[in-house]
Amino acid sequence: MSGLEVRGLSGGYAAGHDVLRDVDFTAAPGEIVGILGPNGGGKTTLFRALLDELPVRRGELSLPGRPAYVPQTDQARLDFPVSAHDVALMGAFGRTPWFRRIARADREAADAALERVGLADRADTTFGALSGGQRQRVLIARALVQDAPLLLLDEPLSGVDGASAARIEAVFGELRAEGRTLLVATHDVRQAGEWDRVLCVHGRQIDFGPPAAVLSPETLRETYGDELIVLEGGGRAVGIGHHAHGH
Amino acid sequence: MLAWLTDPFASPIVVRALAEVLILALACGPLGVWVLLYRDAYAAESISHGMLPGLVLAALIGVPLVLGALAGVLLAAAGIALVAADRRLSGDVGVAVCVSALLGLGGMLALSADTPPRLQELLFGDLLGVGARDLLVAGALAGGVVVALAAGHRRLALVGFDRGSAAALGAAPARWELTLLAILAVTTVAAAGGLGNLLLVALVLAPAAAALTLTRRLLPALGLAVGFGALSGLGGLIASYHFEIAAGASVALCAVACAGFALLVARTG
Amino acid sequence: MPELAPYLQRAVLEIALLAVPAGLLGSWIVLRRLAFFTHAVGTVSFPALVLAGAWGIAPQLAALAAALGFGVAQERIGRGGRLAADAATGLILVGALALGVVLASDVFESGAQVDTLLFGSLIGLTDRDLWLTALVAVVVVVLDASLRRHWLAGGFEPGSSRALGLRPVLADRLLLMGIGAAAIVALDAVGALLVTVVLVVPAATVRLITDRLGALQAGATGVALAEGLAAVWLADALNVGAGPALAVIGGAVFAAVAAATAARARAVPA
Repeated sequence: MSGLEVRGLSGGYAAGHDVLRDVDFTAAPGEIVGILGPNGGGKTTLFRALLDELPVRRGELSLPGRPAYVPQTDQARLDFPVSAHDVALMGAFGRTPWFRRIARADREAADAALERVGLADRADTTFGALSGGQRQRVLIARALVQDAPLLLLDEPLSGVDGASAARIEAVFGELRAEGRTLLVATHDVRQAGEWDRVLCVHGRQIDFGPPAAVLSPETLRETYGDELIVLEGGGRAVGIGHHAHGH
Repeated sequence: MLAWLTDPFASPIVVRALAEVLILALACGPLGVWVLLYRDAYAAESISHGMLPGLVLAALIGVPLVLGALAGVLLAAAGIALVAADRRLSGDVGVAVCVSALLGLGGMLALSADTPPRLQELLFGDLLGVGARDLLVAGALAGGVVVALAAGHRRLALVGFDRGSAAALGAAPARWELTLLAILAVTTVAAAGGLGNLLLVALVLAPAAAALTLTRRLLPALGLAVGFGALSGLGGLIASYHFEIAAGASVALCAVACAGFALLVARTG
Repeated sequence: MPELAPYLQRAVLEIALLAVPAGLLGSWIVLRRLAFFTHAVGTVSFPALVLAGAWGIAPQLAALAAALGFGVAQERIGRGGRLAADAATGLILVGALALGVVLASDVFESGAQVDTLLFGSLIGLTDRDLWLTALVAVVVVVLDASLRRHWLAGGFEPGSSRALGLRPVLADRLLLMGIGAAAIVALDAVGALLVTVVLVVPAATVRLITDRLGALQAGATGVALAEGLAAVWLADALNVGAGPALAVIGGAVFAAVAAATAARARAVPA
């Protein structure tokens, strides 16, 4: 698989109002890139641009294929009459033309994906009846079924219980080993520090590179502005997220 | 006892009415499920209420009602879309203005005409007046609706469940939301003759509401909705025959009763 | 100027009296997004009106019972459940219409009376109707004068009005009851289906021109009065109820104002 290349990306939702400016980075296959930044700072906009859903966009993008997108679970409808298996299977809808039935291989892929995220026994549970962490894992299973070389994950570990988080991080490791590229938007600076690269975004690209180089207090201050808290010891900092997660 | 159930269907008129209702249930049931999942109930009522001028004009001119229904629905949809786009008024105010203006226009055209068309048949349907040609038209339209919903099933599920990710998964949300509204429009046209523009929404929303209350899966909900629609049609026509009440209204009441019953069962069960 | 026939005098008086709630309450209906509720209160009264006609009781009384029942049902629906609120209300409305038709099959021989109940009539107004409308007009003025602060705060930011020392729940209930009462007295003139043409359309039209509450209420009252009088004239000429006539006139005026002001809004540089 090939990697991701972004050159001089700028754009927004209306002409003349750029929400994102001058984003420039690459990600090789098998790398996890953490994306840090305050709310409204451009993380989601970056994803929209990579998904080709940003109305106004300049710059060059080179993608290894159509990306899979894992949103936060409060975007999906909890009252929709679908089971965990149904949701996972949705990953295959895009590649199945409307007149074809879903292939048996795809159904098995959905089962396998649920297995990988540790929810094989909940395959038949209604999506809305699952816990927040379980729902997040189902959405990841959906992305697994999509079998994309590039995955965009929007705060997948936010407000998720410990067991789910461990499972999710294990899956990240597996995807990395398969040579896929992951972009993970997160508020957890400590977490980002454990990945291959970090991209700091606040309206524009602040910095990009290995965590050791990027995660300096100056860079974090510039990225988070007022939302920054520096814990004692000076060496560790946490960005504040304003998310309300309904479970 | 059995005679009580089968007596009404000795008459070919009632048999045709039953055929019409079953055909409509086939289309309205699944469509209603999608309308409820997409939270479009208000749109369904508004479009059906606002189509009255089209129906009245068709009756006045002497053109087949189906054409009037189509014109009426297009006009109503256009008007509603225009007001909904105006940001100065909040959502339901603009639509209420548009719909009541159209309803009033239809009423005025009908009530002031020299030879007034039978307004109540336009409002509440003429289920017992259904002829072979009407059945063919309804069948064709309903068939189209069923095929469209089947073909678009996965895309509609994608967009309905997770609008934000739908594009990434292969379905453009705006296009499919519009497609659903278009299918709703066709269903409205199909059902207007039999149930009338004020009552047809009962067959769209009520069986679907009952189905969604009783099942937690999409495909069973679609099937159950058809079942409840058929049941309402059957029960409605039997009641209409024995109690000598208007057929369309009887079917509508049965449908609403089904939904009410299902909601009660769900709440207590 | 020719002397107006008694029925016309009553129609003119009724429409003039209705201009008061149309202006005062109509503004709140538009600002607080209660148009659908207004339409619903009118519609659910239809079966009650059919029964009132059969049993010889005052239509306003029957309509009141229906409105109260609907109010209770609305609160139950609002408390959440499997069905979305607008779908549940829609089912109640279509059920009420179907019920009305079924009852009418037994009660009325001619279709004309159902038309009258749905679209209103110029000729059926009695003195009692006028007194009731006048009473409601007075009540509306009083309610508006004493509660406008609450209604404004409740609409602007529902959470904070309690902190400001106001009683939002009671005030909002009174608003809904006021709207219900206005709808009930408007029924005989404009019909169960078209209550919004008098209570919502004039205020919506003026809302396109102004943001300020005072101007909105005054303007809506004036527009309702002017349109109402024109509607009575038109309805009489065409031998229909006031409802359809007002709907057509009001709708046309609204469309014209919307088109004119949209053009003006575009011409002003952003």
